[in-house]
Amino acid sequence: MREIASFEFELTRNITIGQYLPTGSLIHRMDPRIKLLAFTILVIAMAICDTYVGNIIALAFACYLFYMSRIPISYGLSGVKPAVPFILILAVLQLLFYSEIASGGTVFVDYGFILITSDSVRLVIVSALRFIEIIFLSSVLTLSTSTTQITHGIESLLRPLKHVKFPVHEFALIITIAIRFVPTFAMEMEKMMKAQASRGAEFGTGAWWRIIQRTKDVFPIIIPLFNVAMARAEDLVLAMESRCYTPGSERSIYTKYKAQNMDYMALLFCVLFTVLLLAFPFPY
Amino acid sequence: MSDSTILEVKDLQHIYMEKTPLEHQALSGVSLSVEEGESIAIIGNTGSGKSTLIQHFNGLMRPQRGEVTVEGQYLSDPKLDVKALRRKVGLVFQNPEDQIFEKLIGDDIAYGPLKMGLPLKEVRDRVKWAMELVGLSFEELKDRVTYALSGGQKRKVALAGVLALKPKILVLDEPTAGLDPRSRQELLDQIVRLNEKENMTVIFVSHNMEEVAYLAKRIYVLADGRNLIDGTPGDIFGNSEVLSKHHIGAPQTVEILAQLKARGYPVNLKAYEIETAAKEMVSVLQSFRR
Repeated sequence: MREIASFEFELTRNITIGQYLPTGSLIHRMDPRIKLLAFTILVIAMAICDTYVGNIIALAFACYLFYMSRIPISYGLSGVKPAVPFILILAVLQLLFYSEIASGGTVFVDYGFILITSDSVRLVIVSALRFIEIIFLSSVLTLSTSTTQITHGIESLLRPLKHVKFPVHEFALIITIAIRFVPTFAMEMEKMMKAQASRGAEFGTGAWWRIIQRTKDVFPIIIPLFNVAMARAEDLVLAMESRCYTPGSERSIYTKYKAQNMDYMALLFCVLFTVLLLAFPFPY
Repeated sequence: MSDSTILEVKDLQHIYMEKTPLEHQALSGVSLSVEEGESIAIIGNTGSGKSTLIQHFNGLMRPQRGEVTVEGQYLSDPKLDVKALRRKVGLVFQNPEDQIFEKLIGDDIAYGPLKMGLPLKEVRDRVKWAMELVGLSFEELKDRVTYALSGGQKRKVALAGVLALKPKILVLDEPTAGLDPRSRQELLDQIVRLNEKENMTVIFVSHNMEEVAYLAKRIYVLADGRNLIDGTPGDIFGNSEVLSKHHIGAPQTVEILAQLKARGYPVNLKAYEIETAAKEMVSVLQSFRR
């Protein structure tokens, strides 16, 4: 197919971390601190909830968040795609070897060390659903919040920890730099792959068992990428120092966040949703 | 399409991130045709689609719509031998010195030929040939470490790394960007030599109009993913209307001639080369004396 061949090297297409999709929706305009708090609460709810109905409701809610933030759900699905092998492997392992934890319910299969019960089936399905819910949720968060907003949010939420000598600002700075550089390096890597392919390099074409050969194949990308990373880091240090960055000194923030009533309502809604999800006696 | 046409592009279109909200049309209908042995410049502002276009020449990108043909081979053919194509069309990226990864200069240049599976003797000959083409002494430099080189020399090593594939078409993206004036001139002279002595077809992208005037026999002007006009440097630089409309600079010689013309002196705007432009200016000066 021509379609497939035409973006053989389009790495940036597949990287959604650090990608921000401004649509100006209600979710985009939320106070990032409140948004992070709400996000954390929802993740905890999804991680604890272990009923079929509860998880389906949570999944529907996660899908609704895409609609609300006016982000196409295909973004969420493309985030799930790379996780599918992990979800499957995890499912198989849980199905076969978790019978000691989930031994209740009806016994379906009892063959040697393999014991499959209705409880272990539930465990498998619920954990797969949880996986998808949390990927959806974090996709909405990162796609609707710029990296600066996320780090400012984290910084001000963690501020109380300063009293126990936790380096809050440094921590936030490290996160910003790390997230900010993901797309940059993806682009550099794309360029490097293209440049080396132009000199006859091939990537991932040898048989999988020729591990040494396949490892050697990536040297022409990895080594220059290290060089570029070093050069970029040095540039960043110079840029920061030339603007008089001093570690540990007190600095003010350009944008002050002020939570609106809307934000508190959203937070309250998330708390209620969580309580409902965890406390309501769902039949399944 | 004549027999000597080596590369042809017909109504090529390319859309990045198609069917996503970040969709962006980089090429919206480019057509061009290059004869064997020509030296072609592609100029245009940032975002006009130059880099996207040249990545189609060696199959890094395949045509989404439209067609690219290299020596009669269709690049949209799924069974195309991409490796053979990349040997035929050598592509040198912007800042190619970033792609050097071996410790020794000779080893880095030998990477391409070794990947082709050539015998060692042949690889050695090619490395020697390529190094001498770009003006690096084989005996003296092949065993030197790459990181100790100057910027200009590194770029020559990177260029030699592509030349060692013995391409028929050499495609360069801003070959002299960021070089000091002396390295720039050396590199330009080597490209001229490749074009004239080795009869290599050269296609290059540049923002530097002096460089374009010096190297190119023909120019294509790109804007908004389309090719506007093409012609000899004389034609293009003489066409001040198109130049100013699309904010494309001209070599200093042309700027001076245009200023003279605007003040009513009878000069030929197509005389863009330094010698011919000088003659035009001399004739203006002589008209004062009379």
